[in-house]
Amino acid sequence: MSLKSYSRQRAIHVMLVYTGGCNGCDIEIVNAVLSPKIDIEQYKVFLTWNPREADILVVTGPVTYHNKEPLLKIYNDIPDPKLVIAAGSCALMGGVYKNIHGDIPSEEIEGPVDNIIPVDAKVPGCAVRPQDILAGLVSVLPKLLNAD
Amino acid sequence: MADITILYSIIGAIVTLFVCFIIGTFLPGVEKKYVHARIQQRIGPPVSSVGIMAPIKFAFKDNLEPHSPAPGLYKALPILSFLCVLLVLLFITPQMYSVALLSSVIAIIGLLKVEEIAYVLMGSLSKSIMSLSMRFPDLVKGAVHSDVVRSHIEDISSKRSLRMISYGSFPLYLSLFVPVVCSGSLYIGGIIKYQQIHGPFIFTTQGILAAFIFFIGYVILLNESPFNIIEAESDVIQGPYMEYISKYRSVIYLTKGLLMFTLAALFTIFFLGIPLNLFSWNILVYIIVALLFTLFMGILSAFTPVFTNRQFLPVVIVSTLIGVLAIVIGILI
Amino acid sequence: MIEEKIPNPNGELIETEISMGTVHPAALEPYRVRFFVEDEIIQEAEITIGVNHRGVERIMEGLPVEKANALTEKICGICSNSHTWNSVLTAEKGLNIDIPNRANYIRVIMGELERLHSHLLYLAHGSEVLGHETFSMRIFYIRETVMDLLDMIGGNRVQYGVSIIGGVRPRCELNEMRILKIETGLDQLESDITKFAERFKADPIVNSRIDGVGYLPPKQARKLAVTGPSLRACGFDYDIRTEMPQYDDFDFEVISLDTCDVKANLLMRVLESFESIKIIRQAIKNLPKGPIADRTWEMIDCDIIQSYIEVPRGICYHSYALENGRIRGSVIRTPSMSNIAAMQYAAIGNHITDGQLCIVQCDPCFTCTDRAFEIIEL
Repeated sequence: MSLKSYSRQRAIHVMLVYTGGCNGCDIEIVNAVLSPKIDIEQYKVFLTWNPREADILVVTGPVTYHNKEPLLKIYNDIPDPKLVIAAGSCALMGGVYKNIHGDIPSEEIEGPVDNIIPVDAKVPGCAVRPQDILAGLVSVLPKLLNAD
Repeated sequence: MADITILYSIIGAIVTLFVCFIIGTFLPGVEKKYVHARIQQRIGPPVSSVGIMAPIKFAFKDNLEPHSPAPGLYKALPILSFLCVLLVLLFITPQMYSVALLSSVIAIIGLLKVEEIAYVLMGSLSKSIMSLSMRFPDLVKGAVHSDVVRSHIEDISSKRSLRMISYGSFPLYLSLFVPVVCSGSLYIGGIIKYQQIHGPFIFTTQGILAAFIFFIGYVILLNESPFNIIEAESDVIQGPYMEYISKYRSVIYLTKGLLMFTLAALFTIFFLGIPLNLFSWNILVYIIVALLFTLFMGILSAFTPVFTNRQFLPVVIVSTLIGVLAIVIGILI
Repeated sequence: MIEEKIPNPNGELIETEISMGTVHPAALEPYRVRFFVEDEIIQEAEITIGVNHRGVERIMEGLPVEKANALTEKICGICSNSHTWNSVLTAEKGLNIDIPNRANYIRVIMGELERLHSHLLYLAHGSEVLGHETFSMRIFYIRETVMDLLDMIGGNRVQYGVSIIGGVRPRCELNEMRILKIETGLDQLESDITKFAERFKADPIVNSRIDGVGYLPPKQARKLAVTGPSLRACGFDYDIRTEMPQYDDFDFEVISLDTCDVKANLLMRVLESFESIKIIRQAIKNLPKGPIADRTWEMIDCDIIQSYIEVPRGICYHSYALENGRIRGSVIRTPSMSNIAAMQYAAIGNHITDGQLCIVQCDPCFTCTDRAFEIIEL
């Protein structure tokens, strides 16, 4: 393994962007990082809030109208190589807000996340379990390690 | 003959710098894994992740243009502060004692000041997207004060760094002057010689007081919690470092490790009187002191919240007074 | 402490404006807060929400009532059970359904477990905003006990979907083993929270950081219609759990503190957690026997029905009319809606690092609150 891949494997910085939705996924992901029970740092994954530092962008929520541009801005600010994980059913397909409605559909949902930025891995669940987030991270790792 | 001695000195200094640099890169990882994670009852990241692997990883990332009014200057600043720290380390190697002017307390304090001033410039030049540039229709009908000057969050951070320069770093500099007053020499060679005759300063009353405030100054200079107000996550996120990308970010990471080692090395020289000599057992003392400082700082930062001005000022005032007391004792005895 | 903090009217003293959000580590939820500062002291704060607007009330219009109840759960990931519970209560009120007593007990157990998880999350988030990572981690660890219990009863860590019209879902039946698990979990929780609270109260540095910060005068709290623990931390012992028929069988105390600052708010959550543990203990001790759902109800049309319950963050209000089993004119009012003004007010006069803390002290949940909002650009 080259030094490049090895160093990428040893320090993965994850940024969480939360684009609407119900808070559930968000708390579960922060929980995965912060709670000593799961402690994502032992797998060399660090949570960061600075797009300039991030390697992997975790997006939760069905991108609402006012969140589209911040999400794009943050995505453009992440230096390459970057990957995107869409976490939670809202990020995958718009969730209940896009797909369930009575007489009037919701016009506020711009999502799912694929419509706005390219997505590399999709983690299903309402809300996602912290373990699933880890599995999602592991599944995109080869792509990150082999990137230029 | 003289040429060969100079050559050896240069090679010795470079090798010393290199070894210190390698040791320094492990220190943030030690703090994170063996202190923070242990206190928080979790496993924590591997030791190499924070200090070495993260900078290497950043170095391999693509570069983008930072959001800054002067990108060139902004990108040069971390290299400047890295060089400052490296020069401090260079000036305290025994090979440099012959160049008396450089291996003095004044030169060291000057260089550390430059490193602090870099934060002010970094803060004012960084215009991250995380605050003002994030598009949001907040200047709407009914919004209060639509005609005020709007700032980025880093501007606050810059103002705070300015305050840090004016009074935040008092403790460290005062404590460095205690050995100077006692030994009557501004030069590192003189201070070491004095301690080799009279025993280390740490075993005197003024030495203990000064060592205590040196530690507070050490934490303040490293911007570690509780004194991390210029990069407090609850308002300024990462403060001055917000916009650094790829190589420049890795320099920032490396500077932190190197600064941790350099300050501990300063302590060893000023308070234990042991020269930084790579080819003797002295280097072990340096490593132990660096690890001890990391350990104490880790314990302090794990158990304290961020200090705002309300807590920060009393701490600085009390430690400044202790520093003055130590100097007075040093003059009287 | 200043009794009357008046927002700066003329803008003369305002040096600059600092806006945070919509993505910010201390906020977690997307919203924009503008702090108007003079020498790092906040003179005025303005919170703008609307980023999260998904139009839940609008998409509920015309949905079958069962489906709408499931949808209300997705309003908020923290107090999901409270929203379903209240929505179901609204329907039951309109359709005159008497739920079995056992079902009510299970709902109360879930409601109180959720209160525990919400309060612990508040404490953890508060510690994180304080910059105290160790405390935050410690609480997240304690919180996992509650999450396990919720997971066991509801089948999911966040959205449990316990209440249905007429009772609770069959998977939420409490058998001997589950009751035993809840008992041991509560014992564990009580000792953990007690230990933490003692540690927290005895810490001089943390105390110096939170004492007197985010002061909200009682008079102002009343004027701004603050609800929930934030109101009780201002000296009012007002809790509509005392008036709710669902809580008739339970004996608990309404706690109120009168220091009105961040410390009072944090302590409030700790003390309320103990009351919640007390209620759950009573519920599992006196759990009545019988069915857990009454499926014999019939759908009728009814006019606007209103229901208020006390959720972890304050008073939650749901109301809708039923027409052919479909929802008409749904209105939901969440506690954070009325607490926003208090957050803005509490931030005045504090250092900007404490600004987010003052907002967090009122336990904001803007995801709940962002449902119907219109923003007019200048």
